[in-house]
Amino acid sequence: MLDKTIEEIHEALKKKVIKPIDLVEEAFNRIERNKELNAYITLNKEAAIKRAKELEEKEVGDNLLFGLPIAIKDNIVTKDLRTTCASHILENFIPIYDATVVEKINANDMIIIGKTNMDEFAMGSSSRTSYFGAPKNPWDKTKISGGSSGGSATTIAARDLLFALGTDTGGSIRQPASYTGIVGMKPTYGRVSRYGMVAFASSLDQIGPMTRSVYENALLLNVIAGEDDKDLTSANKEPEDFTRKIGRDIKGMKIALPNYFMSDIVTEEIRREVEKTKNMLEENGAIVDYVDMKYLDKAVTLYQIIAMGEASSNLARFDGIRYGYSIENPKDIEDLYLETRKNGFGQEVKRRIMVGSYLLSGENAKIYYNKALSIRDDMKKEFDKVFENYDLIIGPTTTTTAYDLTDPMDDPSKSFMDDVLVIPVNMAGLPGLSLPIGFGKEHMPIGLHIIANSFDEATIYQLASFIEQKLNLNLNPRKDDENV
Amino acid sequence: MKDQLTKEEVLHVAHLARIKIDEEEIEKYQVELKKLLNDVDKIKEVEGYDEERMIAPWSKDTIAREDKSGEMLNPKEVLKNAPRHSGNYIEVPIVISDGEEA
Repeated sequence: MLDKTIEEIHEALKKKVIKPIDLVEEAFNRIERNKELNAYITLNKEAAIKRAKELEEKEVGDNLLFGLPIAIKDNIVTKDLRTTCASHILENFIPIYDATVVEKINANDMIIIGKTNMDEFAMGSSSRTSYFGAPKNPWDKTKISGGSSGGSATTIAARDLLFALGTDTGGSIRQPASYTGIVGMKPTYGRVSRYGMVAFASSLDQIGPMTRSVYENALLLNVIAGEDDKDLTSANKEPEDFTRKIGRDIKGMKIALPNYFMSDIVTEEIRREVEKTKNMLEENGAIVDYVDMKYLDKAVTLYQIIAMGEASSNLARFDGIRYGYSIENPKDIEDLYLETRKNGFGQEVKRRIMVGSYLLSGENAKIYYNKALSIRDDMKKEFDKVFENYDLIIGPTTTTTAYDLTDPMDDPSKSFMDDVLVIPVNMAGLPGLSLPIGFGKEHMPIGLHIIANSFDEATIYQLASFIEQKLNLNLNPRKDDENV
Repeated sequence: MKDQLTKEEVLHVAHLARIKIDEEEIEKYQVELKKLLNDVDKIKEVEGYDEERMIAPWSKDTIAREDKSGEMLNPKEVLKNAPRHSGNYIEVPIVISDGEEA
């Protein structure tokens, strides 16, 4: 059933041919079958079944998402359901409240199936910094799924279920979406409430949908978007239907393709696929121009400063006192802090906290952090300039396809450079989406990155859906004989 | 220019971050932290930027919540995740020492 279209599933539920429990059981069967992909940290089996039974009493109505299973990244808190951030320090943490997005998902009668694997505290680009081991790419189990939302990408790509939430601070939704051949959207900063997302870099963090198709992605954004009293950075925008432009023609649409995105930092096969898509769009009446943009090559540096600085401050709360792992028999408070954080955090997290603390200490705050914020502002203005003349910006999502799980992890810069093409969008607070446009060597997926002006997600979905329909790729990595 | 931090520099940033590092880890951090600091130093090359500063990519006017009491968290629930607690209190080890080390 879970391979059918959303409309077909909805019809079946409405006509009572199936019940929500059938979808839940099918999802758990698939997850069990794909166990070695290691997409999940915690499954919500008992509660999900109970919830599915409760929904049998309710009208299905016109809600297309009614009764559908969803997976939640493990840095979004779920009441009474373990939330670890893939860290030893939160290994046994049971939240006592729901994140706003989780409340919205429950209110829309979706069913939470489990919590997905990720890089520890979302710090990484391959999900290999997870305390629970890395998820594997469904297209090739020897390859990474990307990160940090690697588990959410994995479970969608493997077709365990249709919907997942990820978070994106510096590409963590879009990059794994690209590596696994799914659709991932980072909405505009402020579009979705961050209340209940465990903070990494507060001025960049954003929650977004990860799905197998563009339409389903827009449907899930409809559910989670909106202002929230509990997050003062959430935007006071009128509710809108993000699917409304899907199906519209793209004739006359003006699209910019920054030269930097097509420079030799990107492999030839990926540039070729993007070029092919560009030609296809032009044949269909869109105008695609190469443009020059300043500061794009500085984005990773800005990101390193802002993200590590803010992380060092946000992660100061993990002190072994109020919640989380704590050492036995501390001598005094200093001993408690030092030893708890030494044992509780992994290597990548410790490195980033140390550098971040240094960057914010004393005069350094001015030299690094304040300057990074100023240049970030200039970068935003550079995007504004492009959007005066263009509706959208496109480029590749990643510089390579997914690499081997066994590739070395000894270069601390590597995890940042993996996100070089997606980070500028976080810097400017813009919405960005990755969607599959083809395959490279060893049949690994290649993603196209589509960027819009602030709060113009609907136009991204319009173009993405157009491309999706034209290309009509087979994006199911499963062989036919593996069907449940 | 040497491409690693001194031992003292590593211990200094570890102290700022309140993370203990073992003697045998220091060497590794001397190289790794230096690599990241070299990365962020690239910001010093950027000139001609606008000093006007964006704190967050999206901002709205400061708004005050209505002054009314809301739901409170249940102390029992809150303490569920605390490693050490007694009654309605969270226990902490000695904060101010007896002066020997001061």
